[in-house]
Amino acid sequence: MPDKRFQEDDHSATNKTRTILRLFSLLIPHWKLAVVFLALITVVSVQDSVFTYISMLILDTGVIAKSLQRVTELLTVYFSLSLLQAACVFGFILCAGFLGEKIQAGLRGNLFDHLQNLSFSYFDRTPLGWIMSRVTSDSRKIADLVTWGLLDLTWSVLNIVTTMVFMFIINWRLALIVITIIPVMILVAVYFQKKILSQYRIVRRTNSELTGSYNEAITGIRVIKAMGRENECLKEFESISGRMYGASYRAAWLSSLFLPIIQIIGSLALGAIIYFGGIQQMEGGMTLGGIQAFISYIWFMLWPIQQMARVWASMQNSLASAERIFNLLDMKPEIENTPGAVNPGSIRGDIVMDSIGFYYDKEKAILTDFNLTIRQGETVAIVGPTGAGKSTIINLICRFYEPTEGRILINGTDYRQFTLHGLQSRIGIVLQTPHLFSGSIRENIRYGKLDATDEEVEAAAKISKAHEFITKLENGYDEDVGEGGNLLSVGQKQLVSLARAVLGNPDIFIMDEATSSIDTLTESLIQEGLNALTSERTSIIIAHRLSTIRHADRILVLSKGKIIEDGDHEKLMSLKGRYYNLYTRQYQDEYSEIAS
Amino acid sequence: MNKMKINTKSPLGIFSLLKGFRLIYSSAIVSLAAASLVRTVTFILLRHVIDNVYANHDLVNQVLPWACAFIGLACIEGTASFGRGILASFATKNVIQRLRNFLYDHIQRLRFSYHDHMQTGELLERVTSDVETLETFFAEQATEVGRILTLFVFNLTALFALNTTIGLLSIVFVPVVILISMIFFVKIEKAFTKYQEQEAVLSSLLQENLSAIRVVKAFARQAFESKRFDGENQEKYARGRKVVLLHACFWPVSDIICTIQMLLVFFVGATMAIQGTITAGIYVACCGLTIAIVWPVRNLGQIIIQASNAFVSFKRVAVIIEEKQEMEAEDSLKEMDTDLKGKVEFNEVCFRYKETEEVLDNISFTCKPGEKIALLGSTGSGKTSLVSLLPRFYPYGKGSIRIDGRELRDIPHKIIRGKIGIVEQEPFLFSRTIRENIAFGVERKVTDGEIKAAAEAAAIHEVIKSFPRGYDTIVGEKGVTLSGGQKQRIAIARALLRDPRILILDDATSSVDADTEHRIQDALDVLMEGRTTFIIAHRIQTVMNADKILVLDKGRIVQEGTHSQLASKDGFYRRISELQLSGKKSGKGKEKLYA
Repeated sequence: MPDKRFQEDDHSATNKTRTILRLFSLLIPHWKLAVVFLALITVVSVQDSVFTYISMLILDTGVIAKSLQRVTELLTVYFSLSLLQAACVFGFILCAGFLGEKIQAGLRGNLFDHLQNLSFSYFDRTPLGWIMSRVTSDSRKIADLVTWGLLDLTWSVLNIVTTMVFMFIINWRLALIVITIIPVMILVAVYFQKKILSQYRIVRRTNSELTGSYNEAITGIRVIKAMGRENECLKEFESISGRMYGASYRAAWLSSLFLPIIQIIGSLALGAIIYFGGIQQMEGGMTLGGIQAFISYIWFMLWPIQQMARVWASMQNSLASAERIFNLLDMKPEIENTPGAVNPGSIRGDIVMDSIGFYYDKEKAILTDFNLTIRQGETVAIVGPTGAGKSTIINLICRFYEPTEGRILINGTDYRQFTLHGLQSRIGIVLQTPHLFSGSIRENIRYGKLDATDEEVEAAAKISKAHEFITKLENGYDEDVGEGGNLLSVGQKQLVSLARAVLGNPDIFIMDEATSSIDTLTESLIQEGLNALTSERTSIIIAHRLSTIRHADRILVLSKGKIIEDGDHEKLMSLKGRYYNLYTRQYQDEYSEIAS
Repeated sequence: MNKMKINTKSPLGIFSLLKGFRLIYSSAIVSLAAASLVRTVTFILLRHVIDNVYANHDLVNQVLPWACAFIGLACIEGTASFGRGILASFATKNVIQRLRNFLYDHIQRLRFSYHDHMQTGELLERVTSDVETLETFFAEQATEVGRILTLFVFNLTALFALNTTIGLLSIVFVPVVILISMIFFVKIEKAFTKYQEQEAVLSSLLQENLSAIRVVKAFARQAFESKRFDGENQEKYARGRKVVLLHACFWPVSDIICTIQMLLVFFVGATMAIQGTITAGIYVACCGLTIAIVWPVRNLGQIIIQASNAFVSFKRVAVIIEEKQEMEAEDSLKEMDTDLKGKVEFNEVCFRYKETEEVLDNISFTCKPGEKIALLGSTGSGKTSLVSLLPRFYPYGKGSIRIDGRELRDIPHKIIRGKIGIVEQEPFLFSRTIRENIAFGVERKVTDGEIKAAAEAAAIHEVIKSFPRGYDTIVGEKGVTLSGGQKQRIAIARALLRDPRILILDDATSSVDADTEHRIQDALDVLMEGRTTFIIAHRIQTVMNADKILVLDKGRIVQEGTHSQLASKDGFYRRISELQLSGKKSGKGKEKLYA
């Protein structure tokens, strides 16, 4: 495979407004929930200011005016409003929380479905970890932004505004003083939050380096120990953990500084209230309750400002997440059903590769003007060195990739006129690295035919010689294979994946280096089972153990994308060419030894 | 690095991690107490200003100094809060860095049997997220609990000093609030754990799907997979709703209780103020102090429940710390004075991983320096276990292994491993440059020339040169994905550069095509020259040139000799070689083997 270094797309040029619009359009299907929670949060933020105002009235018109009745009245109002407030809080947490989970689940579902349809080339060039974090963490960030982020922002802005309104109602001159300080607080808060956030990004990056380093020490422990490299590895790790220390300490500095600084700026307003408010109060222009209210407002204002700054600062980050997700969702599969494609039902018939050209990378053509006809029922083996194009031929026949030039006919029809599902579900393929899914062995074999009965599953396992080892397991066919099948050995996994392909009763059967990790004895047994299977259907086998393919109807020797020899074992041996060389090189020593 | 001494007996042992930074951490606690105290003083001051300054028209010129005093107090409080944050962080980050470095080193030095049984994910989880939990505990949760408690104590004391009745009344609902918040957060924590477990299920489903996307597509099972994912996704949505519902209940309920507590003080205070029992200033101060007691207490439950996770994490990490290292008590062993020649003698060696089953049973053989020993046998016959004893990966039980006549267990790990080179079936390469990977095995500085020479000898130089970045190409996900054969040749180059006296080839050529195998074989021939070599293989061609072939079955040597000796005798070896040689011709032989 050519070097396809993965590069993250650059989003700097894309339109931010469009992303924001698209982001909020996620709310449209759930607009009722969104409207309700925004309405509730509005009530909540207005009431927060009202409570302080009532406290002022209690002090001025109750306590100082010496009217217990007035105090009782006001407290009753206060309590009733707080019940209403509680109901609103209940409502908005429920709405925003459900909405967030809904959007997240929806995004993940869409991303997953979309990923199933993307082409092989996408997975070849995109690291798995990258896709994983799009689906998991980016979808969470987006859901958080359009729910809790929106909520915090709405609450903060409304809260600051209503607070200002009440301040003006109580005493407009003092309110003017406070109003000069608020923008300063907001600016400082945003500045700090941005710095803190970018510092935390560094911390997270360093942290994943740290995890990577641990991971290598654990998975590579054999090599490290065998080579006695413990001290050097520790030194490297210490430099990473040292950077981690530095980065997280700087982040801690900023975080520790943030609130005190905001508080100190706020205290300037407080001092001004005590001074100007006090003097006015002494002169009769201001009530004691008014001063108390102003102090409460100023102390409380730290929270909306902090929230606002946090949301604002993290917006950038969330927008980047949104763009990455939208780009992924917009990515078109390179191979799609052509309009009017039909499900052929059966794809028995000759396979014709007609003047095929193909490249993964424009610079490096893998196949040029390649022609091959595989007749119905034939067993064709392909041999050749790594990079000769063996797997490419299979990728093309399965339509995992499409030829860049030429066409492939199956039973006389260009296979692009078939639906992908119609074609691929009729091909049985066993890959070099067997991938199993968590679950039982039975479930894994049944993957080849979802409605297969237990008898059919076992029959398939018998053909592929998996039955013997399965019955020796404690739970037989119900044995759990572990994540990715890791509780089984590579050879056992391979046998199960063979059974899986056999069960599908495919029209075309493909084995791509499927038996390399199976020992010689078992392989020869499998061969017998497979003979029955391959005799009536088209089979393509790639193998590097030549004993595996000796009995194929046709052996193709491939070199640099060209078929250089074509014929059965006897014919190729008699040619005394490449195949002959390979074969004799693998076995000449044994022959001479045995003969002696 | 030495052993780490921590107290693992009680949960409070968590604080023994702070060793060496206790003074600094205590200063952080003092700072936070100071900040709380200043906050309380602010209310007392407010009361004084209202009652004594505002009420007295002659003192107009005193208002400004008092206003400045408030700003001054805020500055002190701010400084103390900052001190709390930065001191706690300083102590924590140092402690955590020390812990991380220790754990890394410790993991490298743990015995092989430990790594065999511990799953990578589990171990990784402990050294990363459990350590992070500890970090959060020290840097945030512990000091936050301290802040809430000191605020509570100081403010309550002030309330009592101002008026005993109000003081008493101000805390009647506090136990209720704490109780409710504990109950709810235990529930929330449980629900959240379930939610996160489902999140993990979802991620591993996704990971499995993506890494097997070829299979999914090959079997055209996209719809099936989507349905499966949707099922788990819906389950996570349902669990998420539960968490949300609990939060939606807790916050308003606790809001109401806190409000009742607050209004109770308002009412009693107002009544007393109207009756003239307390001044207006005391009323204002009491209202403020009560607010400062009630609302933070509400968060106490949440923090305590979260902080309790740290004790669980501590236990999980402590278990690793207590695990024995393999090199302990090795100082007494002597270094080798002379160069190792490579004579290896096994004398009645027995070995088992677990108590129950014998993996190697009475193994005896001798090999002279420079000889090639081939090991043949089916999976599980003990081939890999046998060669794993040589670098002292595992301790052998009965019997003796002598290297150049010296008992193996008396040779320090570091020395013996320095003389052995291993090429494994699936060699592990690090996600670094190819250059660094080849040079990984040697301590001294290696020149580019040497690396190139090793790569050439391993028949991989041409491949490396074809990469755009050559030897600076990074291996793995971040760079190029190498084929099995390419990895193996890099591992051979790596072993070559080490120039070992004893070489172990553990199934080094099984996963490569015939052409590449031939090239690797040539590279191996160069590598084996003049070194004692152990070859594990299941292809006859690979083992036939050995000086001695050992056929193993169930941990015993069942056949021993050269190829020509074994090929002429009836037995396992001959059956295998006939089978490989002639493919189908020996159909009769197979049945015998399986009978």
